[in-house]
Amino acid sequence: MTAKVSVKDLHKAYGDNEVLKGINLEVQENEVVVMIGPSGSGKSTFLRTLNKLEEPSSGEILINGFNLVDKNTDINKVRENVGMVFQHFNLFPHLSVLENVTLAPVELGKLSKEEAKTLGMQLLAQVGLAEKADAKPTQLSGGQKQRVAIARALAMKPSIMLFDEPTSALDPEMVGDVLQVMRDLAEEGMTMIVVTHEMGFAKQVADRVVFFADGYIREQGTPEEVFNNPQDPRAQDFLNKVLNV
Amino acid sequence: MDKKAWIKYLMLTLTVVLGIIATNTKFAAASEEPHYVITTDTTYPPFELQDKNGKYVGIDIDILKAIAKREHFTFKLVPMSFNSGAQAVLSGQIDGIMAGMAITPARKLVYDFGTPYYKTGVITAVAKNSSIKSLNDLRGKTVALKTGTGAAAYALTIQKKYGFKVTYFNDSNTMYNDVALGNTVATFEDEPVMKYAIQNGVKLKVLTKPANSGYYGFGVKKGHNQALIEKFNAGFAAIKKDGTYDKIVAKYIGAEESTFAGSAKVNNSIWGLLNQNKSQFLAGIGQTLMLTILGIILATIFGMVIGLLAIVPNKISHGFASTVIYIFRGLPLLVLAFFIYIGIPSLTGHKLSALFSGLLTLTLNEGAYIAAFVAGGLKSVDNGQMEAARSLGLSYWKAMRKVVLPQGVKLMVPSFINQFIITLKDTSILSAIGIIELTQTGTVIISRNSQGFRIWFLVAMMYLIVITLLTFLAKWADKRFGNN
Repeated sequence: MTAKVSVKDLHKAYGDNEVLKGINLEVQENEVVVMIGPSGSGKSTFLRTLNKLEEPSSGEILINGFNLVDKNTDINKVRENVGMVFQHFNLFPHLSVLENVTLAPVELGKLSKEEAKTLGMQLLAQVGLAEKADAKPTQLSGGQKQRVAIARALAMKPSIMLFDEPTSALDPEMVGDVLQVMRDLAEEGMTMIVVTHEMGFAKQVADRVVFFADGYIREQGTPEEVFNNPQDPRAQDFLNKVLNV
Repeated sequence: MDKKAWIKYLMLTLTVVLGIIATNTKFAAASEEPHYVITTDTTYPPFELQDKNGKYVGIDIDILKAIAKREHFTFKLVPMSFNSGAQAVLSGQIDGIMAGMAITPARKLVYDFGTPYYKTGVITAVAKNSSIKSLNDLRGKTVALKTGTGAAAYALTIQKKYGFKVTYFNDSNTMYNDVALGNTVATFEDEPVMKYAIQNGVKLKVLTKPANSGYYGFGVKKGHNQALIEKFNAGFAAIKKDGTYDKIVAKYIGAEESTFAGSAKVNNSIWGLLNQNKSQFLAGIGQTLMLTILGIILATIFGMVIGLLAIVPNKISHGFASTVIYIFRGLPLLVLAFFIYIGIPSLTGHKLSALFSGLLTLTLNEGAYIAAFVAGGLKSVDNGQMEAARSLGLSYWKAMRKVVLPQGVKLMVPSFINQFIITLKDTSILSAIGIIELTQTGTVIISRNSQGFRIWFLVAMMYLIVITLLTFLAKWADKRFGNN
């Protein structure tokens, strides 16, 4: 079975500042990979290279078999299959909640307006916000915004979902609802790569936890292996700090 | 809201714009007789002045008409400030100039003149109550000259000797008023013109005998329009012989201006002035509105394109857009208008109509301002919006159009309304290239009736009314279409 995501010796530098120093990672279908690590360790940058929001400096990235480094690859086609959820939601404020969800499938000719509306209402129901369909994003709380953002990404029926610190900008009481939606997705078998500081979520949902530090993957394994018996000193130090507060 | 309807509107307006420009350039080709465009001064009585219906008459005009009739050609008269008209002939924009132009050696280098048609000399005039007794009293004081005239050139030759300073005006009426009011102490003007003006109530008196006498001539660009010069000379010889010329001169010299321009006792109240000049004002407002609206549409299209080019992540397009904005925002509108109307035809040899030049000027200048705030508005839309749209698989331009532009445009609405008002006001500058819009209409009416204060008051009110209406319209459109 070929991997959904296959990354080999990935480097990314901004000028002289190298933030990714040779990353290798494979993600299988239905797998949930949670990436943890200190701020500035490169995990978000890495996630953003997977749909080419960041241009890699060197290395190889295969997504669903498409080579992202190849100039001839139609990046828009690749992105249709890779949903992304941002820390700051990035909902489109000039559109209603439902229009946020239906914009891409309609504009890209995947669905008719009517079909998109039906799907959009289904997805909003799935994230618990069907009654907000006609609201504007400014009328929603942070947690609600993030759930709409997830529905928006799902509307393209992606086979991979990327989450870039999806709960970091939320008030604590909003975090649970968003994580629940993500948990449901994982249970349905979505392939997910999640950058987060929610260690509870990582323990509970992740098939694999990957620890980033200084632009390298220092440690990876099942949640039990990484959380209970970390081998790398940086990982031991980091986990000691975040788990024993 | 619906994008197809939007595109249809755009196509419709474009068609109208192109249609107007096309018909405007076709005008010249309509007649079978040779057709010429000839410029004259806005105000230079008794050689050119407006009668009570706003039609141009005067020695120059009547001579031209008589000659055209005999020699079977037609002409379109384009009144402009003397200096602009003289340059427009040299640039090839206009075929000939009949504007009391003195034949001088310097001018002979660049113009071909027809048979000299009127003898003249330069005299100095001062305010009626002036204490100045001779040219010697001018030392250290400022005199008023009209840009580009033979009288001005003569004044400069004696400037050192008498030690006066100079300031320049573009039309005679404003210049006379300046001297009469005492802002400047004297003016140099051609004898027949000065005497005619004094006879008709300008509060000046003649100080000197005519100096530097010479002749007026009909001018064309050197080496060009020789057929027109031949026709002029043949026709002039004929009207001189049969007495038409003498009749024309006699009709104007020594006559009261009111004979042509209407009685001085006409109703000079604001309301009366408005009524008498209704058709001229309406035509002026029409021209101003047309320039404003077409200018705004074209400038918006140009500005949007350049503004977008300024923000796409591509060094070449970014550099191109920044340069365009830098140049056209940096140039004064008047310089740009002269450069396009007078400069470009000198280089290419192709005529550009004043209207086309004016619209192009507005498009480039106002468009550059629009481009700058379009780029600014789009840049101020959070980058996450573009990223979110791209991550869904939308192409750059689709993401721009569906996500970034709608948000950016909303931020730009106040700037747009502001720019519309500026554009309306800027159209007044185009009077300099001979477009008779509202401001030029005011100048022309005042040159006839000397009611400066009241006419400028009326013109100011008209601008305010139009600006108020346009602002309302823009705000209504924003409410109606902006928040759908």
